[in-house]
Amino acid sequence: MNKLLSGAVAAFGLAASAALAADEVTLQLKWVTQAQFAGYYVAKDKGFYEEEGLDVTILPGGPDIAPTQVIAGGGADVTVEWMPAALAAREKGLPLVNIAQPFKSSGMMLTCWKDAGISSPEDLKNRTLGVWFFGNEFPFMSWMSQLGISTDGKSENGVEVLKQGFNVDPLLQRQADCISTMTYNEYWQVIDAGVSPDELVTFKYEDQGVATLEDGLYVLEENLSDAAFVDKMERFVRASMKGWKYAEENPDEAAEIVLENDATGAQTEEHQKRMMGEIAKLTAGSNGALDPADFERTVNTLLAGGSDPVITKTPEGAWTHQITDAALN
Amino acid sequence: MILVFCAVLLWLFGWWLNSRLASGPYADTRMVRLLAPLIFGLTVIGIWELLVRGLEVPLVILPAPSVIAVRFADSLPILWADFVQTIIKGALSGYVIGCIAAFLMAIAVDRWDFLRLGLLPVGNFVAALPIVGTAPILVMWFGFDWHSKAAVVVVMVFFPMLVNTVAGLREATSMQRDLMETYAATYWQSFLKLRLPAAMPFIFNGLKISTTLALIGAIVAEFFGSPTLGMGFRISTSVGQLSLDMVWAEIVVAALAGTAFYGLVAGIEKVVTFWHPSQRG
Repeated sequence: MNKLLSGAVAAFGLAASAALAADEVTLQLKWVTQAQFAGYYVAKDKGFYEEEGLDVTILPGGPDIAPTQVIAGGGADVTVEWMPAALAAREKGLPLVNIAQPFKSSGMMLTCWKDAGISSPEDLKNRTLGVWFFGNEFPFMSWMSQLGISTDGKSENGVEVLKQGFNVDPLLQRQADCISTMTYNEYWQVIDAGVSPDELVTFKYEDQGVATLEDGLYVLEENLSDAAFVDKMERFVRASMKGWKYAEENPDEAAEIVLENDATGAQTEEHQKRMMGEIAKLTAGSNGALDPADFERTVNTLLAGGSDPVITKTPEGAWTHQITDAALN
Repeated sequence: MILVFCAVLLWLFGWWLNSRLASGPYADTRMVRLLAPLIFGLTVIGIWELLVRGLEVPLVILPAPSVIAVRFADSLPILWADFVQTIIKGALSGYVIGCIAAFLMAIAVDRWDFLRLGLLPVGNFVAALPIVGTAPILVMWFGFDWHSKAAVVVVMVFFPMLVNTVAGLREATSMQRDLMETYAATYWQSFLKLRLPAAMPFIFNGLKISTTLALIGAIVAEFFGSPTLGMGFRISTSVGQLSLDMVWAEIVVAALAGTAFYGLVAGIEKVVTFWHPSQRG
């Protein structure tokens, strides 16, 4: 009888773990499959998610996919998003909460032609600058307002802003003196186009003191009161961070994994390996837990948005250590 | 739940009212004919408002009409600036250039057979090019401002207009042409007095198709690079900022502008082709 009971318990336990193995998590990426998201692909490929009993689906993003909208529509459980866009969404009534922050530093910068006579941020006045919109313009706007430069058009104290597509042509064609680039992606596209780094001047947002947090993991606030969801996210964050640290240590292998997962086949090996190297610099120093000081800095940058601030008041409850505390200890 | 119930009531009331009007004694009067679609439209908006509020649909999925209306009223200067940039500068200039160029080309195609045989198939090919492919290239060629949008519109309207005009110019029957010849009419006399008037219904068909194409082209082209102005710019950036009320306000502007533009061309058609069977009665 006792044996039978324990057998039943074991069978129940098996069934329970089988049910756990079927825990599905859908992750929406901010952009197309590339080494920027290596940690997640590595965790999936190396079986880190499986070890935690998760079945993770990774949805690539793209130029016309707003991760905030996907998660609002119930298309994903958790999304990779930049903090400015997430906080703006929060203020618009979509309560996103940062549960983990694998990226410590910002990879965003402005890349300019040196021969246009630009050497300091002051020289940006009266020029044409390319900026990404779709929620990515916020850091730029706050930077300009901190410099006291208007973005209404070319003038003694203003710049003309172009809505730049997600390529580097405006710079190469000299339609713009400067364009937005990421240290790990577009900058190298410019270099690959045959431009020598000596010909360029770059302003990293980190160095200008206007860096905002990029690539964090966000979920809907209401889900955090659901114990099963929280448990799932703890395992997800733990496995993802394991993936990130593995990717940092084995950049070439991580790049290979990303390439295997790129269904479009658009990425090249050289580009992805280089990107992984640059990404590793941004994730270095983060164990996955959000540093409240970084959050404060991001909020202050966004609040300083001049006449058209990104957010109008300090957000409350926009991040939590609930998940990372449980996941990382 | 009460609001959802109200929505159902409103739907039934609108239905009842319209069916009463349609089967009533004044069904054929001008007033009822204007009233019926108006009631239908208002009912739809009313149901939309009540359902969105009753079911607490988040703003980012579908904003209520009242929210859109408030945003519309608050952003009139922005909407106007976007309208001027996209519709007046981009769409209209592209439309005029494209249609005139296509009309002149159609006359040449009609006159010389080698053009008709050689150019029209290529024309169909170009007309099938996707805008997402051509727009970035044209932005590269003509810059970020409205000129590149006008160029996209030219490409989009040119071939529908060309094909329609060419078909129209062959509309006059050989009997009619023979008659003109017995009058010893020159090519241009025959063209102006017979073939061009006969082509008018076709030409206006092309012009009407092109109105909507022009608006779509100008707005979508702005997704691929624009100054910080214009309807396409506003729509794409507002989606990223989750200002869906702003997106809908721009959609309202686009819908109003598109309807007015189409209506204007259809009105001119009515005057010009008063003799055509489709315009009688």
